[in-house]
Amino acid sequence: MSKTLMVARREFLATVLTKGFLLGILLPPIIMAVALTLVPLLMNAAAPKTTGTIAVIDRSGLVEDALRVSLNSDAFQARRAKKMEKAQQKIRSGGINLPSDPRAEAIQKNLASGGPSLSVIILPRDADPEKEKQPILSARVRDGDDASRSQRVALVVIPEGAVRMPAPVGADKEPAFEHYQLLTAPKLDIEVQQDISEEVDHAIVDARLTAASLDPKAVRQLTTTPVTDTLVITPEGERTDNPVTAMLLPAGFMILLWISVLVGGQGLLMSTVEEKSSRVMEVLLSAVSPMQLMVGKILGQMGVAAAIMSLYSLSGIGALVFFSQSHLLDPMLLVYTAIYFVIAFFLMASMMAAIGSAVNDIREAQMLMQPIMIVMVIPMVLWLPISRNPNGMFAQITSFVPPISPFVMVVRLAGSEKIPFWQVPVSIAIGVASMIFMAWAAAKIFRIGVLMYGKPPNLKTLIRWVRMA
Amino acid sequence: MPDAITIRNLTKTFGPKVAVKNLDLSVPQGSLCGFIGPNGAGKTTTIRMIMSIIFPDSGELSVLGKASAIESKDRIGYLPEERGVYRKMRVLPFLTYMARLKGLDAGAAKRKSLDWLGRMGLGDVARKRCEELSKGMQQKVQFISAVIHEPDLLILDEVFSGLDPVNRRLMRELIEEQHKSGRTIVFSTHAMYEAEQLCDRVFMIHRGVKVLDDTLADIRARFDPKTIVVEPLNTGETAVQRRFPDIESTLRSFPGVSHVERDRDGFSLGVAEGAEPSRLMAELAAAIPGGVRRIELKRVNLEDVFIDLVQSTAGQHVDRADLRNPAAEEEPAHV
Repeated sequence: MSKTLMVARREFLATVLTKGFLLGILLPPIIMAVALTLVPLLMNAAAPKTTGTIAVIDRSGLVEDALRVSLNSDAFQARRAKKMEKAQQKIRSGGINLPSDPRAEAIQKNLASGGPSLSVIILPRDADPEKEKQPILSARVRDGDDASRSQRVALVVIPEGAVRMPAPVGADKEPAFEHYQLLTAPKLDIEVQQDISEEVDHAIVDARLTAASLDPKAVRQLTTTPVTDTLVITPEGERTDNPVTAMLLPAGFMILLWISVLVGGQGLLMSTVEEKSSRVMEVLLSAVSPMQLMVGKILGQMGVAAAIMSLYSLSGIGALVFFSQSHLLDPMLLVYTAIYFVIAFFLMASMMAAIGSAVNDIREAQMLMQPIMIVMVIPMVLWLPISRNPNGMFAQITSFVPPISPFVMVVRLAGSEKIPFWQVPVSIAIGVASMIFMAWAAAKIFRIGVLMYGKPPNLKTLIRWVRMA
Repeated sequence: MPDAITIRNLTKTFGPKVAVKNLDLSVPQGSLCGFIGPNGAGKTTTIRMIMSIIFPDSGELSVLGKASAIESKDRIGYLPEERGVYRKMRVLPFLTYMARLKGLDAGAAKRKSLDWLGRMGLGDVARKRCEELSKGMQQKVQFISAVIHEPDLLILDEVFSGLDPVNRRLMRELIEEQHKSGRTIVFSTHAMYEAEQLCDRVFMIHRGVKVLDDTLADIRARFDPKTIVVEPLNTGETAVQRRFPDIESTLRSFPGVSHVERDRDGFSLGVAEGAEPSRLMAELAAAIPGGVRRIELKRVNLEDVFIDLVQSTAGQHVDRADLRNPAAEEEPAHV
């Protein structure tokens, strides 16, 4: 094994085999997985079971029959089942196939039985709302099974004028329907509240239509259109565009690249500063040349960054396969990402090696890091405008400006819009050229910097070192 | 026998500062050379150039027959002045890593590391992290890493700094042992005592210029002070006051004594031109009233030579205490 590779191996193992690194790298995906599987379960379990009665005072007498049907517990449960079905359909039409999971079905069944168990009481038309709302005060909506089925949890008061247009009060006023009142117990499940008010709205509108001698069913049919997917016409054919995946995929690739490059670069900085401050540097230089040491360290940290990258991207690809979305991934995209990763990493690592070799401790490094961090924030800020308009002037220019060009190119390539092909080799060529230049400059700074102690250099001194020797 | 290190006309500047100027130096193979000089004289710079860690502005340099130490790095053992260990690394992996970087294969690296740890009495710390070791133990580990690959040439920069007397002695023994097994050794130091004890050759640079380059025997001959030190037997407070004036006047008129200097315990006498020191000493011993506790022909010591050279070239004041007291040396050990 050559000395450079030996240095690389130690660098890799020394970084990877620390508790901090393992936790930092493995914890986020684990937390994510736990969050994705556990949180919906918890949310479903947390939906309170509501038991009791809904009292209705319908002064018009035209709405109560409809409400007697739509506000009882069977109707509530039917609506919930329908909602869930709709949501799943929406996910499927969004291009994501949820695998049929027996657990999910079990949850659904469980949900159905645990839904609100409510009944309707139609009070006399002339009942006094002030008196009828008193029973609500003694309701215990959160007690679930213990609660009495006869407790009153809500009171709906529908005035005559809500259904039949009242005569205008003044000559200059437009005639308007009156509004109804919904009085509920505190802490009543928000979903139940929404459900009640939706159904009352519905019943009142139907009653108005009927009063106007119109068929509510026919009117509803006439006033709605089914939702359709937008079709994108391309020379290759028609396809449904999925804006979510089209935006998320480029962002995913860029963030992956960004995180792995930054973690690897940071590791290189830390280990170089440590070697310098613990004075092990010159001991190493008695066995290897500064160039061997620097290149070995960069390769070792590149291994670290590549490990992070493959760990995360493999889990990402796994997720895409799991949701049957692997067609979104172009194998060439992975190849390009690998190329741009090498360019981005080498640029970053050269800068970090140079800085790490020039300073005495990590605090001094922060000062020199500032300009680099500002540059590194740019791709994060530009991600949205670039992925929205991958062929805009701005996106095209930044594709050729290292060190942000690899990030910009990955966003553009992962997006759905085709980019002019010549830009890929040109940006790679510029990237490789700048990578060689940076490595050369860093090697010069490294050679001088590793044995310099005392006042930390500023940017001007670093440039002088590059021009020296 | 060819020289292990040959340096011709070597010059190195750092900006306006000339660190080493027109330096010529030969280190014969198998020799044990001390490299001395005051702080900032250019010792470490010279050693770093020999090791090809930094490069000279001009001049020629050859190490073990190669134009650069890079080509013979695996045959050189180097213990830098700025030395340290990976704090978080365990001792055995650290030594094996260093040994492998110096060209040993994995098996030999481990075996030799364990051998050396055992010899140094560090067998039980092999599994410990380097940061858990005491300073002296770390120094030993660093020494092992410098010699583990059995180099032909051993360069030790400020090897005695930061060591207590016990470890200084241990280090001296280790250097002697390495020398006996035929290695060429160059060590830089401020510790004149150690240099005198160990070296067969000494070179000294001051302000980047070589001011001394000779064998220890030649240095002693060249800088022979021709001085006899006399300590009279009666040295009580009252005795000094009462009797010494008599002795001093006796000495001043004594044939063969050129001059007399009085110090705390006795006198230093200059041996006059043409006088025979051994006969003079016998005559003096017999002539001093009350007898003598000690009479000796003063031997030059390296410390005097060092200070003479520094002061004659620069008029610079050197505190002798700095040279004797290890704690007052240039810098603390960087561990």
